[in-house]
Amino acid sequence: MIVRTVLMATARAVLVLLVVSLTVFVATDLLPSDAALARTSGRAGAEQLAALRVELGLDRPVWRRYLSWLGGLLGGDGGVSLVTGRPVTDLVGRRLPATLALTGSALVLMVPLTLLLAWLVGRRPACSGALVGVAAVPQVVFAAGLVTVFAGLLRWLPPVSLLPAGATPLDRPHLLVLPALSLALPIAAFGAGLLGGAVSDVLRRPHVSDAVLRGVPGWRVATRHVLPFLLAPAVRVLAIGLGALLAGAAVIETMFGYAGLGELLVSSVATRDVPVVAAVAMLAAAVVVAGLALADVVATLTDPYRRRR
Amino acid sequence: MTGRSRVLVVVAAAALLTACSGSTDQRQATGGDALRYAAVGAPATATNDPHGGIGNQSDLIRFALLYDVLAKPGDGGRTEPRLATTFTPSADLTRWTVALRPGVAFSDGRPVRAADVLFSLRRIHQKAAENFGRLQMFDMAASRVVDDHTVELATTKPYADVPRALESITFVVPDGTAGFDRPVVGSGPFRLAAGDAENAVLERNDSWWGPAPQLRRIEVRALPDPQARTQAVLSGQADVAADIGPAAARQVGDRQGFRVVHRPTVTMYPFVMRLDRPPFDDPRVREAFKLAVDREELVNKVFLGYGAVGNDLITPADPSSPRDLPQRERDLDRARELLAQAGHANGLAVSLHTTTSYPGMDTAATLYAAQLAEIGVDVEIVTDPPDTYWTTVFAKQDFYTGFYGGIPFTDVARVSLLGSSPTNETAWQRPAWDRTFEEALSTADPQLRGGLLEQLQRQLRDEGGYVVWGVADGLDLTTDRVHDLPTGAGFHSNFIERTRLQR
Repeated sequence: MIVRTVLMATARAVLVLLVVSLTVFVATDLLPSDAALARTSGRAGAEQLAALRVELGLDRPVWRRYLSWLGGLLGGDGGVSLVTGRPVTDLVGRRLPATLALTGSALVLMVPLTLLLAWLVGRRPACSGALVGVAAVPQVVFAAGLVTVFAGLLRWLPPVSLLPAGATPLDRPHLLVLPALSLALPIAAFGAGLLGGAVSDVLRRPHVSDAVLRGVPGWRVATRHVLPFLLAPAVRVLAIGLGALLAGAAVIETMFGYAGLGELLVSSVATRDVPVVAAVAMLAAAVVVAGLALADVVATLTDPYRRRR
Repeated sequence: MTGRSRVLVVVAAAALLTACSGSTDQRQATGGDALRYAAVGAPATATNDPHGGIGNQSDLIRFALLYDVLAKPGDGGRTEPRLATTFTPSADLTRWTVALRPGVAFSDGRPVRAADVLFSLRRIHQKAAENFGRLQMFDMAASRVVDDHTVELATTKPYADVPRALESITFVVPDGTAGFDRPVVGSGPFRLAAGDAENAVLERNDSWWGPAPQLRRIEVRALPDPQARTQAVLSGQADVAADIGPAAARQVGDRQGFRVVHRPTVTMYPFVMRLDRPPFDDPRVREAFKLAVDREELVNKVFLGYGAVGNDLITPADPSSPRDLPQRERDLDRARELLAQAGHANGLAVSLHTTTSYPGMDTAATLYAAQLAEIGVDVEIVTDPPDTYWTTVFAKQDFYTGFYGGIPFTDVARVSLLGSSPTNETAWQRPAWDRTFEEALSTADPQLRGGLLEQLQRQLRDEGGYVVWGVADGLDLTTDRVHDLPTGAGFHSNFIERTRLQR
C-alpha cells in the first residue's frame, strides 16, 4: 500500500516535470524575439542574424532543440547560455545556494506563521477579512514597507542584501532577514486564509463537539480529533506556499540586489535564453512537485478513514 | 517619535549593529584602498567575452580594468594611446603601421605580442553582428604581424582616422584563446582575484606599464535595479553606484557624505521619423515636428533638469559635432504653416511608439504628444514591451522614441545613416551624403576632415528624421571619499583605474 502510493506519486511527479519542461521550453521559444536578436539588440542585418542563428543552433525546429536539451539534462549537462556562452550548470550552480538560503529561511518563517494564523482564523472566522487584506498586498509593497521601517527609520537592517564575492548567505544572515520576511508574510497570510476554512470546518464537526461535551481534555481533542483531519490540507497548502515562495523570489531578489536564481530567471527571460530559463524553471518545478508529492503521500498515510477501508 | 525614544532607537540600533557587525567587518578586511563599484548589469547578459555585444556596463568596467586596449578616448577629444604607441599611415591611407608598447605582459607572465593584438582585432571584426560592426573599416585578411611589437592594419578603403577607430573595445587577449565561457587572462591595470562575471574581485596588477593606480582592489558587482544600486551606496555596502537615474539623484540631493557625479551629454531619447513613408517623407512635416517640440519642458520633466536641450544633432558630444549652430527654438506658428503647406491644414494623425526600457522614455512620448497637439497633430501613443522594442519597433516603425548612448558620429553613420547600413532607421538614403562621408574618412588633413564631418551633421540636423530634444547627464552616486571618477561621454567613462579613495 505505502509502496504503491509512493510509486504512484513519483510517477506522477516525473510526468508533471516532463510536461513543465516542455511547456517552459516551447513557451519561451514562442515569445516574440529570440536570443540572436537579443545579442545584436536589433542592429544586425538579416544575413548576420541568420548566421548567428545557425551558430546558436536556433535554425533547428523547436522539438529537436527540446529533445537535445532534454537528452543533455538527463546526462547532467544543461547546455550553454545562448547569450553569453557560459555553461548553464555553472550559472545556476553559482546562484543556487543563495536562493536555497533565502527560500529556506522564508520557509522556516512561513510554516509556523501559516499554521498559527490558520488556527487563529479557524477559531475566529471574523478575522479572515484582515488576513485576506494582508494576502492581497503584493510582495513588492511589503518589501518596500519593511525596508522603509527597518532600514530607513530604525536602521537595524540593510536596505539591500549584497552578498560579498565568495561569501555564502550564512556568513551574513542579517542580509536574509528583510527579503525572507517580505517573501514569507503575504504567502503565510494567503495560506492561512485557505487553511483557516478547514480548521473551522473540523472544529465544527460533531465528533469534536461530542468529545468536548464528553469531557475529553483539550490537548487530547486537538491531537486525536482535530489534527488528523488537518494534516493533509496543511501539508498541501504549505506545498503550494513553497511554490509561491519560489515565484516571489524572482521579484524580491532583484529588488534587494540579491544574487540568486530569481534575478537570473527574470533577466534570462528578457534575453530569451531558453536553456537558462528552462533550467531554473525546472529546478523550481522540481521543488514544488516534490513538495506536492510529499503532501499526497502524507495525506494518504494520515487519512483518518484509511484503516477502515 | 519623541526625542528620547529616537535616542533609544539609535542606541538599540547601534548595539545591534555592533553585535552582528556585518557591514563593518567587510571594510576592515579589504583595507582602505578597496573600491566597491555597483554597476549596471543583469546576470543573464554578464559575459566573459570582451569582443561581442557587451550588454552590461559592469562587464565593460571589468574588461577595461582587466585588458589593455590599443587606444581610448582621452581629454579634449584627443586619442589617448594605451597599448599602441604610434599610428603611421601609408601615403594612400589604406595601410596603417601600429607600434605596440614593448615589455608588456599578460598577468600569467606571457608577453603581449603583435599576434595577440591581431588575433583580438580579428575576433572583434568577426563578431560585427554583435558589436555594431565597430571594426568594419579594416580588411583583417590583409592585415598582418610585422614583428613582435608591430602590426600592419589594412583598411578596405582609404581611412584617415584609424586611431579613433581603435578607441573602442580593442581588448587584447592571448592569441588562440578559444574558451570565453570562463575568464580570460589580460594585461590591464588589474587582474581577476576572485568572483565571477556578476561579482568580480580585481586586484592591482603591479607589473602594469602605466602609472600605478591608487586603488589596490576593486570589486565590480552587476545590479540590475537602479534603486538597489542607490541603496547599496547609501547603506555603506558600496562606494559607487553607476547610473542611478534622475529621480534618485534628486532624492539624494546633497545628503551629507555623498556626492552625485555628473557625466554630461550621455544619453538621449530622440524621436525617430522615417523618411520613406508618409507623412514624414515630406521635409516640411519633419521641420514642423522639430519646431513643435518644447525642449525645455522635456528636459525638465523627463531628465528632471539633469541634462541640456538638444539642437537635433545626433552626437553632440562627438568632437566633430558642429558647435556654432543657433539653437532651434519652438515656433508653433511656423510649424502650423509648414503643416498647412504640406497639405495637413486640417490636422494629421500619427502613432508614436515608446517603451519603458530606459526611465522616462514613456513620459517623453506622452509630453511630446501633448506638444504636437498644439499644432493640430493627433498623436496616438503606443507603449511596447521593452523585451521586444528593439526588434519590433526600432528601425521598423515610422515614428518612435529611440535611444543613443554616447557613441561616436562615425559609428552612428555606419550603423544607421549610410545606404549600406544594416539598420537605417530613418531611411536616410542620400548617395551624395554617403560620398561626402567616404571623402571625409579618406581626408588626411584633420581640419578638412572635421569640416566635412560637420557639414554632414548640419545636413542631417536640418533634413533628417531625428528630433533630438535633449541630452541627459549620466548620474553616478558615490560616497564623498571617492575622487576622480571618469566623467567623459561614451567609452571613456568605463576606465576607472585612476579613481581614488580618500583614506
